[in-house]
Amino acid sequence: MSKVKSKRIGFRIDMTPMVDVAFLLLTFFMLTTKFRPPEPVQIDLPSSHAEQKVPESDILTVSVSGDNRYFMGVSSQLSRTRIFERVVQPRLEAAGMSGIAVADSLQGFKLAEVFPVRKNELPHFVTAARFANQRLRPVVKADANADFEAVNHVLKLFKESNILTFNLVTVLEKEVR
Amino acid sequence: MGMVDSPNGRDSGRKAKRRRKRPGFHIDMTPMVDVAFLLLTFFMLTTTFSRANTMEINIPPENSEVKIAETNVMTFRIARDGYAFWSIGEGTPRKMRLYDEREAMTLSSEVRQVLVQQTKANSKLVIVVKISDQAKYKYLVDLIDEFNMMNIDRFSLDDFTDADAMAIGILASGVTEVPDLN
Repeated sequence: MSKVKSKRIGFRIDMTPMVDVAFLLLTFFMLTTKFRPPEPVQIDLPSSHAEQKVPESDILTVSVSGDNRYFMGVSSQLSRTRIFERVVQPRLEAAGMSGIAVADSLQGFKLAEVFPVRKNELPHFVTAARFANQRLRPVVKADANADFEAVNHVLKLFKESNILTFNLVTVLEKEVR
Repeated sequence: MGMVDSPNGRDSGRKAKRRRKRPGFHIDMTPMVDVAFLLLTFFMLTTTFSRANTMEINIPPENSEVKIAETNVMTFRIARDGYAFWSIGEGTPRKMRLYDEREAMTLSSEVRQVLVQQTKANSKLVIVVKISDQAKYKYLVDLIDEFNMMNIDRFSLDDFTDADAMAIGILASGVTEVPDLN
């Protein structure tokens, strides 16, 4: 790079500060980025002008897909473990699964960010989640084209479980894809 | 670009600068910096700081009952095909389109007009929303959104019963065939 031989007067820019900043930013983005887990279903959210954000932690998400299937997600692994112990484990044991197999499926369940739930099982899971963590903030994430009946089922369920404050996930009207 | 001069005892031959007395060596950092920038760009473009937006809903407990004069109640029924029917008290429901166009994102101007007029005319108005089971969830969100924007906080959701279907069904059969919006 340094051509001393040439007559032309070259110039050098000290790029060290720029590279420093670049690395700083790179480290920041690499450490703060949390990749979104792959979702089992694509949900087209309805749009609204609400600008409130979802709570950061302790959320219980009940998703309703466009074809009216239900999915549930609990943000903390501890709560998931408790839900497993309360709802899934007795069922697996009743089905005659060995202890090792149960422990194995617990591992899988702990890692599952979102899992499908049948409509008639939903009440059990919601109550179990409430028992697992009292401070869970319920959030309904439903597809815009889901039937009202399917969503209403969740709303009624919340009402029955005495969950009177919850959030509906929407996208901001301005930036609809 | 991105060179590091490192004072070192060893002479790295031709690459050493002549004007310096001390023999050092250079590491060409260009590829590393290139990769760093590439990653930086990637992370900057893929990161979204925004969390999803939500609207908060508060529902009354199951066994709470409030008595309201009939004239202060506006019933807003939404049928499965995207038509809305509104009535005051026990009056006959009037029909209107919920959306101007098929894929519209906001409610039709007619609905908005009715809401503005009625809430202005009666400050004690309570809107009871009844949505048909076959209707879309989108209708609910759009309606609540509209209420929020108009600062209407006196509304409630109620079950859409057979009686409601009858009330609007009689009307729907009386007029010409309704085009299905969905």
